[in-house]
Amino acid sequence: MSESSSSPSPTPGSTGTHVFVTVGSTRFDALVQTVLSEPVLDVLRKRGYRTLDVQCGNSDFDTSHLRRDADDHWQRAGDLETSIWRFKPSLKEDYERADLIISHAGSGTIIDVLRLRKPLIVIPNPALLDNHQAELSDALAGLGHLRSSTVADLPEAIEGLDKSTLVPFPQFDGSRFRELLDEEMGYQDHTSPGARR
Amino acid sequence: MTGTPGWLVPVAAVTVGVILVRLYIVVTAPRTAKPSGRRDAIERCSFAVFLGSGGHTSEALSLVSALDFNRYVPRTYIISEGDTLSMQKAVNLESAKAAEAPDTMPSSMRSDPRYTFVVIPRARRVHQPLLTTPFTAALSLIAAVWHITVGPLIAGPPVPEVLLLNGPGTCCVLCIATYLNRFLGLRSPKLIYIESFARVRHLSLSGKLLRPLVDRFIVQWPELVKDKRRDECHGWLV
Repeated sequence: MSESSSSPSPTPGSTGTHVFVTVGSTRFDALVQTVLSEPVLDVLRKRGYRTLDVQCGNSDFDTSHLRRDADDHWQRAGDLETSIWRFKPSLKEDYERADLIISHAGSGTIIDVLRLRKPLIVIPNPALLDNHQAELSDALAGLGHLRSSTVADLPEAIEGLDKSTLVPFPQFDGSRFRELLDEEMGYQDHTSPGARR
Repeated sequence: MTGTPGWLVPVAAVTVGVILVRLYIVVTAPRTAKPSGRRDAIERCSFAVFLGSGGHTSEALSLVSALDFNRYVPRTYIISEGDTLSMQKAVNLESAKAAEAPDTMPSSMRSDPRYTFVVIPRARRVHQPLLTTPFTAALSLIAAVWHITVGPLIAGPPVPEVLLLNGPGTCCVLCIATYLNRFLGLRSPKLIYIESFARVRHLSLSGKLLRPLVDRFIVQWPELVKDKRRDECHGWLV
């Protein structure tokens, strides 16, 4: 067994051992089922994670080994405590608590997570017809901001993730758009990196 | 002997000809080589944005949040029927901006609200069969024309000076209504289109349709720039 890097180091706002999985408002059965399967749980344990939350949206998965403790809310105790639920009005707190986030490839989720400087593994959903989502995850992976993976390769992606090599995603800078619009509407006080040619 | 009057065909032909020529002039008019006439720093600029729901709303509001709210006023948020979430997000943004920078004009002096909502029916709902789409699109277009073309002529607020679009199908309907204004020689908003951050290598359908029609066509990934004279990329804006 290789010890290629030390156990995960805590990210801002967290304990160092929490994983959060999200599919947003979509349905992504394959991702949820894989995350709850032994190969993934095994590699998460080995990498030092102790708790796992899964926001499963509209996905279907096997609940037979889980304890249902409320409507649309399941638990599994053990050495990787798991909690599964469908929706919350805001995921901000869950993002902040997490040391690793595994997510569908929605652009809004990606931007929110990367701006919180959290390590992110993105899984484009192959069942979606128009898969421009995969283009975004590939492009950002190519720039080093996140890791992109298939459902099948998820254990390997988790195993091989070296958080120290992730490139921070730029924070929001509204000045570009502001100056572009000011210049277009005739204001003279812009400094205009967006000037028309 | 009955039959079509002799004058009918020539008159019809001339009318169609005039319409086609006018359309040609309007559609191929050079985009203003320079931006609108100079504007003083304290002058206001009326502004509208279409919030298409979901990721489109988030991106659009992100862009709007960058603007000086004392400069771009009044603001009109155009939303699709039933999209209360987008309305809520816009209200949240307005509250946040009001809290961080107090208005330069006290409310006692102000007769018009700083921002309003305009609701138009969706051109097409998700998964709606294409067979019924022409009918819903027509309703959507009628509403757009009412707000952009007819309303300002009769009683309503004046046409906004700029309209920000970022992708979803109903954008096209707003663009058509804007062109109706141009065709009739009425004031029309500048059309600014910003393709979604999620579009890296291929434009959305709305992007492809609107690219030749809008005044500024802006993408966020360089690979989408096909014609440098028309397409712009200034990096990530959201």
